[in-house]
Amino acid sequence: MLMRRQIVLTLALMPITFGLWYAAGPLFAAPAVWLCDIALGHLYPTLVDTAGLLGAELQLTTQFGESAGQILPAKEAGNQVALEINTRLVSYSIAFYGALLLASNVQDSLYKFCTGLFWLWLIMAIGLASIAGKDLLLLVGEPFLSTELVPPADVIALTYQFNVLLMPTLAPVFLWFWQLQGSPLWEQLAADISRASGRA
Amino acid sequence: MLRFLLIFIGVLVTLFGLEMLNPVQNAVIQPFTGLLASLSTALILPFDQDVIAQGRVLRDATSGFAVSIESGCNGVEAAIVLIAGIAAFPATLNQKCVAIVAGFLFVQALNIVRIISLFYLGQWNYTVFEWFHLYLWPVLIMLDVLVVFAIYLHWLGKNAPAAEAT
Repeated sequence: MLMRRQIVLTLALMPITFGLWYAAGPLFAAPAVWLCDIALGHLYPTLVDTAGLLGAELQLTTQFGESAGQILPAKEAGNQVALEINTRLVSYSIAFYGALLLASNVQDSLYKFCTGLFWLWLIMAIGLASIAGKDLLLLVGEPFLSTELVPPADVIALTYQFNVLLMPTLAPVFLWFWQLQGSPLWEQLAADISRASGRA
Repeated sequence: MLRFLLIFIGVLVTLFGLEMLNPVQNAVIQPFTGLLASLSTALILPFDQDVIAQGRVLRDATSGFAVSIESGCNGVEAAIVLIAGIAAFPATLNQKCVAIVAGFLFVQALNIVRIISLFYLGQWNYTVFEWFHLYLWPVLIMLDVLVVFAIYLHWLGKNAPAAEAT
C-alpha cells in the first residue's frame, strides 16, 4: 500500500520536479561541470584544456586541433577542437531523485536532499567525463587512445554505457533507498525483507 | 545489506560486460532488438497499416519517419538491473528464476509501450520526442524495475512461511 502511494506520488510529482529542473537550466549541472573540469584537467592535462558551461552544455576545449581534415596537436593545427556535451543527459537524475524523495514521508528531507545532491554531482561528473571519453574516442581516435592514463576503447564504451545510460536512473533509486531508513515505507520494506529472508 | 550490494554490483558489472561483447551482441542482443521492432510493428499494424519494420528500425511508410532501437533503448540494461537485484537477494533458485522471467517480461512490456509511444511522438513533435526519449522514459522504466522488485519482495515475504513449513 505504501509502495503504491510512493509510486503514484512520484509520478504525480515528476512534472513539477522536471519542470523546475528544466527551468533552472545550467544551475543543477554547474557543480558537476566544475568537478569534471578539475578532474580532467589534473588527470589529462595533455588532452583537456578547459571545461566550462555554455548554457546547459558542457564545452570541453581539447588540446587537439584540426587541419585539412586531420587531427593534430593544437599547437601544430593552430586551433583547438571543442566538444559540446548536453549536461541534461546526466542531470535529469536530480529531478528523478527529487520526485522520489518528495514522495516519501522522510524526516529532514531538505538535509537529505542536499546530501543526495552532493553524491549526484559526483556521479554526474563521472558521467560527463564518460561522455567526453566516448566523444574523444570517436573524434580523435588513436592519438587519444595512446595518451597516458587513457583506458582501452572497450573500457571507455563500458563506462559510457554504465555511467550515462544507467547511473542517472539507478543512482537516485539507491540514494533514495539509503535515505528512506526510519520512514513508514522503510519499515514495511524491512518487514518484507525480513520475512523473505526467513527471519520473521 | 553489504552482501546484497556487493553481489548486486558484481552481477551488474559482469552482465554489462557480457552484453558489450561482440559475440553476445551478434548472437543475442541484435536479434532480440530486431524482435522488439517486429513485435512493436505487429502490435501497431491492426491500427496503422503504414508502419514497417526493417531490422531494428521502425518506419512510417507515408511520412518516412523512423526510429532505430539502439543500445539503451532495448530494455536490456533495465532487465540487467532487475536480474542483479533478484540474484543478490536471498531466495531459492526456483523463486529467482520465476522472478527473472516474469520481471523481464514486465520490463519488456513497458519497453514496447515506450518504443511505440516514441514512434508516434517523433512524428508529432520532435522536442517532445527528445524529452520523452532522453529524460522521461528512462525514469519510467527504472520505476518499473523498482515496482517489479518491490512486488518480488512482497511475494517472497508471502511465500516464506509456506516454504519453511515444507
